Amino acid sequence: MPNDTDITLTHVTKSYPLGKSRIPIFQDLTMTIPEGDFLAIMGPSGSGKSTILNLIGGIDTVDEGQVAVGHTVLTGMSDAALTQWRAAHIGFVFQFYNLMPMLSAAENVELPLLLTPLSARARQERVRTILDIVGLSERAGHLPSELSGGQQQRVGIARAVAADPKILLCDEPTGDLDRTSADEILDLLQLLNRKLGKTIVMVTHDDSSCRVAKRTLHLDKGKFIQREEELMVCR
Amino acid sequence: MQVSSIMLVRQNLTRKRARSLLLVLSIGIAFFVYGVLSSFQAGFEGSEAKAERLVVVSKIGGNETLPISALDQIAQLPEVAAVTHITRLRAHLIGNERQIIGANAVDPDSYAAVYGDTYKLDPALLAALAADRTGTLVGRTLAEQQGWQVGDRVTLTSFVHANSDGRNWSFTIAGIFDGREPTVDTNFLIVRSDYFNTALQRGRNRVNMFGIKPVPGADPAVLAETIDTAFANSAAQTKTQNETAFLSAFLEQFANVSLIVRMIVSVAFVTILLIVGNTMIFAVRERMQEIGVLKVLGFSGARIMRIVLAETIVLFAVGLALGLLLTSAVIPLLGQALRSVVPELYLTTKSISLAGLLALGFALLTGFLPALNALRLPIVAALRHR
Ligand SMILES: Nc1ncnc2c1ncn2[C@@H]1O[C@H](COP(=O)(O)OP(=O)(O)OP(=O)(O)O)[C@@H](O)[C@H]1O
Ligand SMILES: [Mg+2]
Repeated sequence: MPNDTDITLTHVTKSYPLGKSRIPIFQDLTMTIPEGDFLAIMGPSGSGKSTILNLIGGIDTVDEGQVAVGHTVLTGMSDAALTQWRAAHIGFVFQFYNLMPMLSAAENVELPLLLTPLSARARQERVRTILDIVGLSERAGHLPSELSGGQQQRVGIARAVAADPKILLCDEPTGDLDRTSADEILDLLQLLNRKLGKTIVMVTHDDSSCRVAKRTLHLDKGKFIQREEELMVCR
Repeated sequence: MQVSSIMLVRQNLTRKRARSLLLVLSIGIAFFVYGVLSSFQAGFEGSEAKAERLVVVSKIGGNETLPISALDQIAQLPEVAAVTHITRLRAHLIGNERQIIGANAVDPDSYAAVYGDTYKLDPALLAALAADRTGTLVGRTLAEQQGWQVGDRVTLTSFVHANSDGRNWSFTIAGIFDGREPTVDTNFLIVRSDYFNTALQRGRNRVNMFGIKPVPGADPAVLAETIDTAFANSAAQTKTQNETAFLSAFLEQFANVSLIVRMIVSVAFVTILLIVGNTMIFAVRERMQEIGVLKVLGFSGARIMRIVLAETIVLFAVGLALGLLLTSAVIPLLGQALRSVVPELYLTTKSISLAGLLALGFALLTGFLPALNALRLPIVAALRHR
């Protein structure tokens, strides 16, 4: 029996059209990401790292094979059903934060809560708690443009966990940050994984991310390879 | 629309304040044009025309007259509740040919029976007129325009009708009457036909028209048909219409006001539709990525659609309010200036509710298409959008 949030990709084939032909990204990819995992995915640009996150998050679809999270088979679900499922189960963290520019930090965090039955008061309460966890209580009223990159990404992470999803999908969350800010973000993700039990799948180019990840996989030409020597370095 | 999504609507409206302001202004101007023109039209056509009342004129048209004897025949029809006759004096103020005065010779009691819904012809006024054969009842607008008071002696010169002294006719003002509603045109006077008819040198017992009030529930169209058929083989063939049709046919002799109004208003509205539609296409396109993010967060297409629609509804609602406020501020002034053309400019509730409907329709139209366009884009593509 899979756990509620085990992520399984089974014989997944995915390609994108290019003119009349198609460029294949994956061919017959099978993998499992167990509940509670913190997986870092590395690999060259264009190797399909973001595509994996999109497939798991139900914002892109496979050509063949199947993607499932726990008992929920995403493949074949309608857009509307996927949207609803995603609101409850997935938090996305983007490289460029993708915050709403006209909303304050607190309002950005509140966004996903609008989709829950929580009352306005309960939402405020929750926003305050989460901003506290990411260390931004002082900045609640600031607009994204008034925050540093690291702070914006913390708002992005707060937004991703606001509705309390079990899974966080992070696409190069430290890609736009300096070393210090990047380390703070990695620490924060580690906290979410270790203390709050979030399953995290993180695409990264940042070598030091294996410091916080439980596993690191390298994606190359549509296949995963585990570089044992790297794992050794990090342990 | 959930109350909670208001912050998203707000952020979209405030993101480019100048743009929102300009949109509201252009919508406001279009509804201002609409408001002024429809007030003008309402004033010009008057609200006194009643679709259920009928007007009988000569089929030959123009200034042809009908014999007064036809009245008895019409009165006998069971569908007729009241019938009266009207003869136009076709006169100007003595000594001033340019100052045309609307003056009708009528039988006061039957006139009040037919037109009592439109003019306040109460028993006291009718009694005052009954007491003086050469009396006249003057409409409020005309009396104010000329500065006339009860008891004043008024002399008119008819272009056509002569009495033993020539074409001058003198009357004493027995009273001043009002319309039942502010839009009713009271820029005319009535005199007694018994006096007028006997004083006439030529053309006695001829009238310009009959006014008919059908019994409640009678079909005016059927009654009109009945009357015209009854006189079809007589020397005086009739043309019977309901009053609104009669009045607009009459007005169209001068200008097709409603067509002109409709044309100008359509141009104004097509222009704002293009402006707002175009702006919304760009506004939605530039936040394509945000829409992608909202979908990633789990916002459904319907919810995003509602947020965009709420945005255009707010724009149009504020623009509409602005336009109508401006209209109501301006029409009293404009009414003064146009006093000789239109009795009174008046923003009717009908025009206001039509404006509301139009605004809602435009808001849905200008919001729906761009939003639909954005929603059709796959999330992955929307996220990559710059
Ligand atoms: N919507 C799309 N249409 C066409 N091609 C696409 C689309 N999305 C991705 N691709 C192609 O698929 C391949 C994998 O893309 P993906 O974004 O998953 O790569 P990545 O590993 O995340 O790269 P990077 O490190 O640059 O972000 C690339 O060659 C990309 O050009
Ligand atoms: Mg990528």
